[in-house]
Amino acid sequence: MADRVRVAIVGSGPAGLSAAARAAELGMSHVLIEKTDHLSDTIYKYQKGKHVMATPASLVLRSDFDFDAGKREAILGRWNEQAEAAGISVRYKAEVVRITGEKGAFELALSDGSSVSAEAVILAIGTQGNPNRMRCPGGDLPHVQYQLDDPGEYVDEHIVVVGTGDAGIENALGLAADVAQGNVVSILNRGTDFARAKSANVKLLQEAAAAGRIAIRLETSPAEVREGELVLDTRDGQETIPCDRIIARMGSAAPRAFVEACGIEFTSPDREAFPVLSPVFETTKPGIHVIGALAGYPLIKHCMNQGYDVVEFLNGNTTLKPADEPILAEKFAPLPGKRSVDDWLSLFGSRIEIFRDLSALQLRELMLDSDVRAFSAGEAVFERNEPGSSLFCIAEGSVAVEVNPADPSITVPIGEGSIFGEVGLISGRRRGATVRAAAPLIVVELSRNAALKLIATAPAAGRAVTRISIERQLLQIFGSGLTREDVAELVEGAEVKTVRAGEVVLAEGDEGQDVYIIRRGSMIVQKELGGKPVFLSYVPAGSYVGEMALIDKAPRSATVKAAIRSEVIRLPGEAFARLLEKKPELLRKASADMDKRREVNAFIEGRKDSFGGAVDMYSATAQFLIDNGIGEATDVLLIDETLCVGCDNCEKACADSHEGLSRLNREAGKTYAHLHVPTSCRHCEHPHCMADCPPNAIRRGPDGEVVINETCIGCGNCQRNCPYGVIRMDSVPPQKPSLLSWLLFGSGPGPGEPSYKWRKKHASGEQPKKAIKCDMCSGIEGGPACVRACPTGAALRVSPEAFLSVARLAEEAD
Amino acid sequence: MASTPAPRGAQSGRKISADHEGFLRHRRYRWLKLAALLCVVAILAYALVDVQPRPNGGSWLGYTLGTIGAGLIVWLSLLGVRKRAMTRGAWSLKAWTSAHVYLGLSLIVVATLHTGFQFGWNVHTLAYVLMILVIASGVWGIAVYAALPTALSANREELTREQMIEGIRAVDRQLHAAAQPLKREQAELVQAALDEDLFAGGLIARLSGTWRNCATARAIERFALADANDETAGKVEKLLIRRKAQLDRLRRQMRLKALLEVWLFVHVPATIALLAALTAHIVSVFYYW
Amino acid sequence: MTFRLRTVSTTADGRRIVRDKDLAQQVLTVGRAAESDIHLPDLAVEPSHARIALQGGNRVAVEATGSLGFTLDGQSQRSASIDPRTGGELRFGATRILVGEDGGAVLLTVEPVEDKGESDPEADGMALAAVLPGKRRLAWILAGLVLALFLALPIASTLLRSPDVKQSHVVGDGSWTPGPLSLAHHQLEAKCEACHVKPFQSVRNETCMSCHKAVHDHAPEARLAMARAEPGLGGKVLGGVAHMFGKEGPGACVDCHREHEGLAPMPPPAQQFCANCHGSLKDRLPGTKLGNASDFGTAHPEFSPAVMVDPAAGLTRRVPLDSNPRENSGLAFPHKLHLDPRGGVAKMAATLAGEKGYGTNGLACADCHRPSEDGVRFKPIVMERDCEACHSLVYDKAGPVFRKLRHGDLDQAIADVSIAGNTTQPVVTGRARPGDYGANQLYFARFTRPVGGGLVAGMLGKDGVCGECHSATMKAGHPAIVPVRLPARYMAHGWFDHSAHKQTKCAECHAAGSSASSADVLLPKVAECRTCHVGDQAAGLFAGKGKVPSSCAMCHTYHPTPAPPPLARAERRKSGGG
Repeated sequence: MADRVRVAIVGSGPAGLSAAARAAELGMSHVLIEKTDHLSDTIYKYQKGKHVMATPASLVLRSDFDFDAGKREAILGRWNEQAEAAGISVRYKAEVVRITGEKGAFELALSDGSSVSAEAVILAIGTQGNPNRMRCPGGDLPHVQYQLDDPGEYVDEHIVVVGTGDAGIENALGLAADVAQGNVVSILNRGTDFARAKSANVKLLQEAAAAGRIAIRLETSPAEVREGELVLDTRDGQETIPCDRIIARMGSAAPRAFVEACGIEFTSPDREAFPVLSPVFETTKPGIHVIGALAGYPLIKHCMNQGYDVVEFLNGNTTLKPADEPILAEKFAPLPGKRSVDDWLSLFGSRIEIFRDLSALQLRELMLDSDVRAFSAGEAVFERNEPGSSLFCIAEGSVAVEVNPADPSITVPIGEGSIFGEVGLISGRRRGATVRAAAPLIVVELSRNAALKLIATAPAAGRAVTRISIERQLLQIFGSGLTREDVAELVEGAEVKTVRAGEVVLAEGDEGQDVYIIRRGSMIVQKELGGKPVFLSYVPAGSYVGEMALIDKAPRSATVKAAIRSEVIRLPGEAFARLLEKKPELLRKASADMDKRREVNAFIEGRKDSFGGAVDMYSATAQFLIDNGIGEATDVLLIDETLCVGCDNCEKACADSHEGLSRLNREAGKTYAHLHVPTSCRHCEHPHCMADCPPNAIRRGPDGEVVINETCIGCGNCQRNCPYGVIRMDSVPPQKPSLLSWLLFGSGPGPGEPSYKWRKKHASGEQPKKAIKCDMCSGIEGGPACVRACPTGAALRVSPEAFLSVARLAEEAD
Repeated sequence: MASTPAPRGAQSGRKISADHEGFLRHRRYRWLKLAALLCVVAILAYALVDVQPRPNGGSWLGYTLGTIGAGLIVWLSLLGVRKRAMTRGAWSLKAWTSAHVYLGLSLIVVATLHTGFQFGWNVHTLAYVLMILVIASGVWGIAVYAALPTALSANREELTREQMIEGIRAVDRQLHAAAQPLKREQAELVQAALDEDLFAGGLIARLSGTWRNCATARAIERFALADANDETAGKVEKLLIRRKAQLDRLRRQMRLKALLEVWLFVHVPATIALLAALTAHIVSVFYYW
Repeated sequence: MTFRLRTVSTTADGRRIVRDKDLAQQVLTVGRAAESDIHLPDLAVEPSHARIALQGGNRVAVEATGSLGFTLDGQSQRSASIDPRTGGELRFGATRILVGEDGGAVLLTVEPVEDKGESDPEADGMALAAVLPGKRRLAWILAGLVLALFLALPIASTLLRSPDVKQSHVVGDGSWTPGPLSLAHHQLEAKCEACHVKPFQSVRNETCMSCHKAVHDHAPEARLAMARAEPGLGGKVLGGVAHMFGKEGPGACVDCHREHEGLAPMPPPAQQFCANCHGSLKDRLPGTKLGNASDFGTAHPEFSPAVMVDPAAGLTRRVPLDSNPRENSGLAFPHKLHLDPRGGVAKMAATLAGEKGYGTNGLACADCHRPSEDGVRFKPIVMERDCEACHSLVYDKAGPVFRKLRHGDLDQAIADVSIAGNTTQPVVTGRARPGDYGANQLYFARFTRPVGGGLVAGMLGKDGVCGECHSATMKAGHPAIVPVRLPARYMAHGWFDHSAHKQTKCAECHAAGSSASSADVLLPKVAECRTCHVGDQAAGLFAGKGKVPSSCAMCHTYHPTPAPPPLARAERRKSGGG
């Protein structure tokens, strides 16, 4: 049977719900199609009692449903009630497999064979996608499940977990965690390694296996699912094991394929790309609208507003302004020339090169996490060495770049519509030059994340940025006297290469003339001395390597390899050689640099002959520090354990200067030659934690520190992404009694982080858990508390360039 | 080989303090020098000023030295507050400690000269004695702070406290499992070993590092006597030995920590008592003036 | 009837897992051994610990199969019988087995006894604080003790004691004394409040004077104020501070009498104390007769003894020794004559040595100058004792009786002589006397009848029996003798102790041997004293060998008093003298 509705809403997340609610409110005939048996599955799957945030606070909620920060249960409960009250017609356990037809007459085929016909479709299916199904026979038996809400609820069962991604491993661990449950857990791995999982998880899994709590079956895959048992294909033939429950975590298929199947185009093939949308969320397939996370709006408020808006549009309300209008209006208010928001948007869209092929929606979205600023002529947009990773686009006027720090008069102009600041964006390092407004200037400043998103979604923009950045980088590195024309040839021949950590870029003794510019990441230079690699130096992004061989016409004199995952720009040697011939002063500059390097090399080698031990120590220590991520650090806390008395005052100080939560763990972490790298943030050049932060709450601060601001929604992505485990999720503990009253009468837990027992006792209501990490005490006059509070001077903060001196100290110590 | 941009240490808006000196060497012994100067001045004054009828706390020189001394004592005792009050501002606890150490030592001279070598069974001498006690314990503190940290870090081998405990607990679980088939006597030995509190042992045990009647050790002795071809016993014995090894590491850590901390249990209370005695001393002197 | 075994276990997150199992057999074994029906993996349980069997009459029998027993409802047993309906609780090691009934079957609920719980995992057992009393507690206790005993107690006692200061006594202030009191005040040792009358007020002069009533001021307050030297900058500051704290201004008793310096005599005041004013007194007190004196050795004026100038009126004048003072004591006594070892006097003394105890070789000072009891000075000269042995006043002999004139009563003497008989006849005493006159070398006392000028020319004449030593004068028309006034002490404000100088010969200081006239003042000049005595400045390390450091207090006292000055007293005490 096929019932016909005005609008079919696929997915009952915040977006879909809000849309359905609006439709119901307007008396539009509608159906809300949900593949599970409950509303809003994504939030439903949050762990019990999770505190859901409502950000951005500035954004007004425009929906028939209420939403306010609170516990998962409360929110879901409220929505269920309201869904009841609003009389939304929902189809549970209905999964759309296909959408056919045209605007006005769509057919939505459901997994159960039935279908729904609708005039318009709203896709609000989010990005979570559908879990990959067990394809073997019996894969549809009821005891096969694709998620695990509460590991604790299963007892005395034989449980098989299929799939060795993080999800699978975490489930397996959860099921086997408590011996009392008496579960027999085994986990199947098609291959032999756990490449897709985080090393920490793998370690835990192997421990559990060693302790006999979990059976790991390698090179094994399910052959047939039967009632109560499972047939396995193993390396040596089939095998049947008892099995009461199967947890299949074999990843999920992104919804993109499905969406594209509906005839909807995306802005780019890039994974992070989003569907092309009109201002009314309509896709390239007329009649189908996309809202919510799938449209690129991960935040609940956005989704709900869009749900409301899209239905309003469908209902013919053309005058409706997007809910973020006031935010943009506020952003644009300080700009000269009283233009309306739309005028500004169209102006940016038309003038700025890299914005050209953005939809109005995308532009709005971009504007939401960008700034718009106006400068008068001569005013500095940013100064040399200022930290900052944002990208500037010139909407009006032009700027002059002071390429030569010695002589500000030498400038390179950048005109309207072009961009600047991209070097900082790409290398994550401080600004390489001062940029001043040449004429009255209006710029759009894209935060790093916004810019990266843009590059990903708008390929043209991406290409433009890459080209410009290479050119600029050349000009910046090789300094004054060079013009765009000079480097044009190089730019043409240049190629961007990504190198894994430890991958060799130049091998000692190799032939080859190419010159490499380190675009992001950092390199270490080492040399074979007496059969051992000796650490020579550390080369940060924004430097170039390989010119020695070119100039000396000799084989590579040392090995250069990536300290961390990096990007290098390969410049063809012959082209570079031609440039050198053309520009003798450049040659001189290069030679000067080379001599400096040669001195250091000579120094090290000289020492090598005299007392090798010391140098080994030196390079070993340096290597150790690099292994511990100092290679990508900008500022790291080290502890000299010849001085540390273990008073933990650093942790206490940290906690007391950050609302009672310590951001470092002194004892944890590696030690070498009494040089200890505690678990605390290294403020990476390319913070892994920034990679995926829905509210974009992680920013780089004025001193290069990476900070999480108050808009954190506690999703825990950063915690998962940090390879150094320096981010924790915790809630702000209650106010402690004053220090004096502790000193005198011992009231309260005393300095430092209060114990959980104390916190439980004095907790005032449920506090949301947020991501906590070192912020280098930004904004705290006097600098990092850990260092200030170290009574013996054991704690010290260093930047990678400085750490070698520390390593030397360690060397002297021995 | 490569051109590097100016090192970021210098670039940084804020100076990244990489000055790597211990609290004793802080700023090339700045406070040592100051304290020494103070002592020399005090001694010269004492030698040159002819106080009638004899050097005495009640003379003007005495009052001066006394005031300096009292001021120092109060300031020094404030280190405890400074250490814990994480106020803003560019102060460094290292500098404070350095000053604390050297000025504290200079008190020996200042205060002794203040007494004019007049001692007796009175509150004034009590204050002096307490002060000497505090300084003595402090000197011990400096000694261990200089000597032990290396051992402390070497001993823990990158393990945190929790990891050490968890390590032992892991062995315990295996022990418990392995010991199941054992006869009663042996089982009881193992049980005793499992039951013993990791952090048992009072001050003496911790300082001396000798843990008498350690159940694990006893169990090992007994199992050594068990017949060789009882492989359960053999397994349990091996586990016990592993447990003992880890336990010893934990105890060494406890010992080092005890040595590093014990002096504070004299230093701090004595300081407070000193402050009290000092008050009594000053008040009484002017009360009966 | 059968067994139903209900195993209850609890997960880490507090979830209870219940597993039921029906067992057909009549007997269940309990133990650690894997094969036992009720398997308790607990090392406190024996491999085969006990057996639970069904009995007739719906009872359950439990008995221990190993050497260890079990506990039933808290009592330890080796065997027991339980009625499931009433139920019972068995305990094996850390496991509890509840015996009950459930639908006709005997229900055995096996669950672990929840252990007392691992001590707070967050508590750092490694820290020493785990085994020692808290620093804070120690601190409070110690501080409390100190404050209570050494501050609160005495203060309370002073504030609360009865107003009758005499009777009441302050408790606990013994701990406040900075040192024992001097000998003089030793008896006040336990009574601090006697001197420290008012809290936070330094000891007042009036307090001292409440006992030391007799003490006289050194000089009128006004004069003292004028005399005091202007203090230097440091002095000013100190003075200011002292004043700020309510000390009594300069010149207060305590300024110079420092107490609590040990159980000994109070040390004499330092020379500096006097020199402050006297060092440059003339500048500030132009009128003063006193010369500036800051150090005996270097800056001390010449002695100016009070010399007798008019014996008749008993008038003395202070004349510095260096302006060669002449004295008129009314007596003519040439020391030279009497002390000459080869003169007649010496002869005569020798002849009289036996009966008078003179030395055989002439007179010595001590023959006439007898030390006073305290040995400080000398007894007055007495004619009868010290002169008459030679200077006889016999004028007649009647039978065995010699008549002699009365010394010191001139009228009587004249009377006696005038009624004497043939006075031109010499009285022959039969003793040969020195002297060259007389007809036949025999001595005649010239007792001429007192008529006309004869008397003066005679007895009172220069060679007359009186005039020999005395000088005559007229008093109310009668002849009279000028009284003899020999001063007992030349310097009233300077102390000199002869006993302290026993080892020195008189002549070393007093040039009597060469003094032909009694007008000479036979006192040593300051220079002579300095041959032994040096001032404080030169005292101490730099004192020459055998020099006597002598601060002002050696000879002078601040408070005018007949007693010897402090330093002198100290010296006497040392030499064991009075």
